[in-house]
Amino acid sequence: MNPLEVLRVIGVLLVATAAAMVPSVALAVPEGLLAGWLGAAVLVGGAGAVAWIATPRIGGINAREGVVIVGLGWVAVVIAGSLPFIFTGVAPSVSAALFESVSGFTTTGATVFAVIEDLPPSALMWRSMSHWIGGMGIIVLGVAILPLLGVGGAQLFRAEVPGITADRLAPRIVTTARLLWGVYVFLTGLLVVLYMAFGMSPFEAINHAMSTLATGGFSTRTASLGAFSPAIQWITVFFMFAAGVNFTLHYRMLTGRWNAWFRDAEWRWYLASTVGVSLAAFAALWVEQGNGSLDLLRHAVFNVVSIHSTTGFATADFALWPSVAQVLLLGLMFVGAMGGSTGGGFKVVRAAVVTEHTRGEIMKVLHPRAIVVTRLGRTAVRSEVVLNVLAFLGMYVATHAAGTIALAALGSDLVTAMSAALAAMSSIGPGLAGVGPAANYGHLGDPALLVLSALMLLGRLEFYTLLVLFLPGVWMRAGGRR
Amino acid sequence: MRVIIVGAGEVGYHVADRLAKEQHDVVIVDVAPERLDYVESHLDVAVLEGNGASPSVLARAGLKDAGLLLAVTSVDEVNLVTCMSAPSRAGLVKVARVSNPDFYAERSAVQPGTFGVDLLINPERELALEAFRLLQSTAASDVVVFAGGAVQLLGLWVAEGAPIANRKLSTIGAGEHGRQLLTVAVEREGETIIPSGSSEIHVGDHVYVIAAAAEIPRALELTGHRHEKAQRVMLAGGSVETFYMAQLLQQHGLDTIAIVEDRERALELAEKLERTLVLNGNVTDIELLELEGVGGMDAFVALTDYDETNIIASLVAKHAGAKQVITLVNKSDYVPLARRLGLDAAVSPRLSAASALLRYVRRGSVQRVATLQANDAEVLSLVVTPGSPMVGRPLAEAGFPDGAIVGAIVRGNSVVVPTGRDALRVGDSAIVFALPDAVGPVTRAFPT
Repeated sequence: MNPLEVLRVIGVLLVATAAAMVPSVALAVPEGLLAGWLGAAVLVGGAGAVAWIATPRIGGINAREGVVIVGLGWVAVVIAGSLPFIFTGVAPSVSAALFESVSGFTTTGATVFAVIEDLPPSALMWRSMSHWIGGMGIIVLGVAILPLLGVGGAQLFRAEVPGITADRLAPRIVTTARLLWGVYVFLTGLLVVLYMAFGMSPFEAINHAMSTLATGGFSTRTASLGAFSPAIQWITVFFMFAAGVNFTLHYRMLTGRWNAWFRDAEWRWYLASTVGVSLAAFAALWVEQGNGSLDLLRHAVFNVVSIHSTTGFATADFALWPSVAQVLLLGLMFVGAMGGSTGGGFKVVRAAVVTEHTRGEIMKVLHPRAIVVTRLGRTAVRSEVVLNVLAFLGMYVATHAAGTIALAALGSDLVTAMSAALAAMSSIGPGLAGVGPAANYGHLGDPALLVLSALMLLGRLEFYTLLVLFLPGVWMRAGGRR
Repeated sequence: MRVIIVGAGEVGYHVADRLAKEQHDVVIVDVAPERLDYVESHLDVAVLEGNGASPSVLARAGLKDAGLLLAVTSVDEVNLVTCMSAPSRAGLVKVARVSNPDFYAERSAVQPGTFGVDLLINPERELALEAFRLLQSTAASDVVVFAGGAVQLLGLWVAEGAPIANRKLSTIGAGEHGRQLLTVAVEREGETIIPSGSSEIHVGDHVYVIAAAAEIPRALELTGHRHEKAQRVMLAGGSVETFYMAQLLQQHGLDTIAIVEDRERALELAEKLERTLVLNGNVTDIELLELEGVGGMDAFVALTDYDETNIIASLVAKHAGAKQVITLVNKSDYVPLARRLGLDAAVSPRLSAASALLRYVRRGSVQRVATLQANDAEVLSLVVTPGSPMVGRPLAEAGFPDGAIVGAIVRGNSVVVPTGRDALRVGDSAIVFALPDAVGPVTRAFPT
């Protein structure tokens, strides 16, 4: 463990964070909030620059340092991201500011603000910007644009990209990171153009495009996407779905392999559950309301895709839907999006592995001597991977239970506590009951906001990366005494 | 013709035996001197110690005069390199034995025409194909297909109560024993004869019937069997043959269970075979076989590397009630034993490989050849050329060699099952059943 090397890389990340504040600083000029924004940017950028320049470059990064950099880096970045909310006085408290920042960078989209339209454009821009940076990953961004991270880049990359495997698009990790960010930027730009073509103002188009591709959920309106036309909502459905897909598949598709989506087993599971739950929700709503319509179908599909991709936009208050539809949505909150996407959750690929493995175990009851191979599509999944996935499942369930207990102890009712903890871990945003799409998180109180912030970070970094920071072994010097 | 065979294993030995008996000059090359000693003392062939993949060794074996180079060691890569080491020239056919399924995958670089290889043979796959054909006509002990399946030779046991039993062949004649079906040989107490109209068939005889495809259910019916298609199959053993067999069964949508003794191998097969249920266990473990419902299987195929294990496992399966049992037997001495024990059919990798090879060796008028398990009799498909003394004369008068019979004539798209009055025409394919001693005279009667 080399603390100086870790400090240096975190310095780089802070400088990048400060650079991302530039658009908000510009927007703050007419609002009269320049002092607060400039202060935050200069403080973050200055501290980062000092850490970057003052520490000597020693060498590569080993696996342990890689994990520590990602864990500590994220903590540093979300704290830095909360400073503008504090300095400009937009947030009601320090905890609320931190919550909003964590919610942004983890692409959760849960907010403490009741009326979004009251926020100054600089703050709106910063919320969307934090989504966008956190979506593809600030570390991946660092690897992509700063080759100075060196050979250890692969360690960092793997620690930040969600899912069970981090596919390489190119033999070199820097190239892979650049290609992924390239695809991300391209799709974001495409969506901005589409939004503007269908009537959004440039400011709202940019904000929503960043939020959508990051599977974030922050909007510039209190009514979220419900404030826009059906055409815009359908476009958003498609892009939310796409943002929940492994970005390496997008790259393959954009480079001419038109069937890249369909050939992927995880993607077929993702599509099947999206279509299945959408239709089930539509049917439940139809039965409840007594008649079906295209509008009803749109609401069903939009909110299901929003939850499945872990975006968190809403066009309807699904906390008021028939309870069967709500339960299905809870299930999707747990599963989340595909590995390698910008979405969160347990991940479709892990759910598929658990399902297939369980099917194999049932087979073994019938045929005790059977050699059962867990398969994803046609590929066999190695048993170490299956075990890893099962351990991850245990971790997910345990963390969710702890989170639910903590929130309940702090005064939430059962459904609110359960759904809020899940929505935070899976980086969704809105939950059910007291934290449904029509409500917000502001009323939960500061201690609950801190608990939820921790859950969001844990979920985004898939536990291990953050939890290892608490293992004493991590902080020991490698190679014994020096 | 000079033939160089690289590899004195089971396949090389058996092919050398066949070719030497047909008056070819055979040189066997192998790295193991003790193996060569054995070959030299049993066969009329020359032996040469050395690495067959080395050009100098091939030169010493007489490559420049050779018409055929067979690389049939058990290592695919050695066989390929051997073919590469021999310069291609007109008049030399180079054959490599390649068994690894990976080399047959899509887009594989190993193709006839590459690596200096003219022909690839795969004994394990040939065996799987043979077992699969047996499976498709449940009651048969042998199945050989000709003319793309339009004509088949079936080996069948005459069952109790069969319509054909205890009757002279002539009485089965026109009505019952129609023109599309001919009994070409009868095997009784280890002796094979070619029957005449006055021959009588008994229960327990093993008869060889040549039939047009449409008549196959009738052939089964006459010998007291019902035509059933297998649906559930159990394979025993984790050999390469098991892999190919399971792959074939999967492709045809049959339910397949494979019992594999080695755990690592079981895992490997389970990963490669998506729709096959692979179990890890002892193939002679009666409890396991019964638990997995061996009695309800339409077929049980024993494919381990050990004859004894295969025979025991097959007996267990037969006793438990498996409808058809196919046993892989390497040692030819065991083949009659397997029959006496009541096992339905035996397949031999050696014979499968030899059949596949000989099919190409006997070029000229011979299009296809199959060797029968029990008696080394051969079934040949021969093209009738103008030079043949058989052309234009009724078969009864043409002086057809003793110990051989024309079972079917493929004429264009139609199949004729001949009587003594039928004559061969130029361009016909004659499907001839020949006892071992008659193979030579038959091939001479059909010159190119």
